[in-house]
Amino acid sequence: MRRLIAGFAAAGMLLAGFALAGEVMVKGSDTLLNLVQRLAEQFSAVVPDVTVSVTGGGSGVGINAIINGECDIADASREIKSKEVYTAREAGVNPVQIAIAIDGLSVIVNEGNPVSELTLEQIGAVYRGEIKNWSEVGGPSRKITLYGRQPSSGTFVFFRDVVVKGEYATAMRQMNGNSQIVEAVKSDETGIGYVGVGYLRDATGVSAVAVRNEDGEFVSPLDAEQVNAGKYPLTRPLLQYTNGSPKGDARRFIEFELSGAGQQVVKEEGFFPVTADYIEQNESALGK
Amino acid sequence: MKRLQVFAALAAAVTVLFAIEPGQTELEMNGWFRYTNESESFGVTEPSASRFSLERGYVRMKHQWAPKFESKLTIDIHSSDKYAEGATVRLKEAYLNYKPGGGDLNLTAGLQKHYFSSVYSWDYTNPFKSLADAQGLCASADYGLTANGYLPAGFGEYQAGIYNGEGYKGAGKNVNLSPALVGNVRVAPLTGVKVGVSGRYNAVGKTSGSVTEKNVLGVAPMLKLAFGPVAVEGEYIIWNHTNETTDTLGAVTSTDHVQSGLCVVPVVSLAKRRFEVHGRFDMWDHKQDGEGDDGKSLLRYGAGVNWHPQRREKGKPGVALQFAWLRTQLKSEGSEPVDELIAQFRFEWSTVIPQFIGG
Repeated sequence: MRRLIAGFAAAGMLLAGFALAGEVMVKGSDTLLNLVQRLAEQFSAVVPDVTVSVTGGGSGVGINAIINGECDIADASREIKSKEVYTAREAGVNPVQIAIAIDGLSVIVNEGNPVSELTLEQIGAVYRGEIKNWSEVGGPSRKITLYGRQPSSGTFVFFRDVVVKGEYATAMRQMNGNSQIVEAVKSDETGIGYVGVGYLRDATGVSAVAVRNEDGEFVSPLDAEQVNAGKYPLTRPLLQYTNGSPKGDARRFIEFELSGAGQQVVKEEGFFPVTADYIEQNESALGK
Repeated sequence: MKRLQVFAALAAAVTVLFAIEPGQTELEMNGWFRYTNESESFGVTEPSASRFSLERGYVRMKHQWAPKFESKLTIDIHSSDKYAEGATVRLKEAYLNYKPGGGDLNLTAGLQKHYFSSVYSWDYTNPFKSLADAQGLCASADYGLTANGYLPAGFGEYQAGIYNGEGYKGAGKNVNLSPALVGNVRVAPLTGVKVGVSGRYNAVGKTSGSVTEKNVLGVAPMLKLAFGPVAVEGEYIIWNHTNETTDTLGAVTSTDHVQSGLCVVPVVSLAKRRFEVHGRFDMWDHKQDGEGDDGKSLLRYGAGVNWHPQRREKGKPGVALQFAWLRTQLKSEGSEPVDELIAQFRFEWSTVIPQFIGG
């Protein structure tokens, strides 16, 4: 009988957890993929009894996974939509948002392209297909080739809502990830793309365009001071969502991400540490 | 570290999308291969039915014409003994959807979801039909026009529409002159709590002999509670036919034919939703003018287990195995319970065609 009870107990524990003890599953945004993988490596070095598995797929995939209870943390480069909040709430999931880094979403061109400054209106018109030639924005007389992300990407949605403000041109080539956009623009003198600023850290052959802000100043996404001050128009938080205030190993990992060591990794990966506003929101989310 | 690399490689390998963009077409297949054993009082070895079938074979094509316009066509190719070929095709969805603003409002025209009771949101976690469908009250899809969307801040959803009223199988002369009006609202005021109500009114006006079917009114409140791995959803349906009978002297008598019932489905999800254990309890009263049962009132209850070795997500097909039992017991005296045992393999996949002809 004892064996039987022990067997049932073991089966129950297996079914209830199925994931190995000490495992944190993170899923979602491709923009955050490299950063969170680095954070996971650093975390595992400090806390070896916890394994952090990090997968991409896009912000939508991650948010869907947290709603379905298939991961512990969802990475997102956009905020959760009202439809997703409703789906989560009815499933008994309370999505809690934490910002782990700041991104200056960067518009990039081939390094051979003399265009170094653009307004948001110009970039929007380029991606809507209304401006088709570089000569219309001060460049050479060459056709513009558009590179962007796929619809499941949070960056795709953010850029569409904030910059394109309409329909992407059907000619835009939809790439799997940020790295693929960097590579494509690097090998295409007529190319333009958008990537998380962290993907410019080791990039060669491309340059980031300065974008005009509301004050009429052209600001580079690589200017940490301006991005942190919110002066760069495409500044956005890089987010994670948990079901309720994070607990257990997931909380330990998030606390590491927000710690000095974690934020140092954020800087090393080319992104910017979270600012005071977000620190306050994070503390509220963590119940501090 | 190897583990991280493997996951990263998998993530990079997937290319299929959830959402589609203008000019793109999503092609989807969703099939249910089922074994059914039907018998009286668990007489599994002496069944009245024992068969394999393709219970559903949905083929869907969704095309995004422009950011504000999309269309969807769904056909269901499934096993059927109505035709010598052993299979049949039916049209389940064929609509154009328009988003008039930047919010979540949609205007949908065509053969679409029928937003009454849980018939439109039933996801077949319990693999048998929803209560309204099982009792033959209304179909899951119908021809009509609806306004539908989500309330701000994820507070809820709403739908209002006008339909033929006869369901997706009703066409041509089978459609009467009076449309059905349907409204539905569901809100999630708290995490894990969803409440809602739907209503449906159809002024039928169909005369057969001395009886005129005047109207049909349906009301269906629902409640869902979900905490941790446990979710319980219940709905109550009241379905009232008002008929008028004209006697030989021309006197008209109005009769209400009231049916009502309850359906409760508890689900326990385990192992990050790879397993679901579910139950079901239905009660249906089929009364006329409150004079008692007419032999159609019943109890229905059962349980089952679902296993999802792989859920569908970006770039991955979904696969599920379902095992379920359902007992239907008519309340009339001397009725033997009928047991249905099913084992079902469900599979679904989708792919995106970047530029479809005409896109």
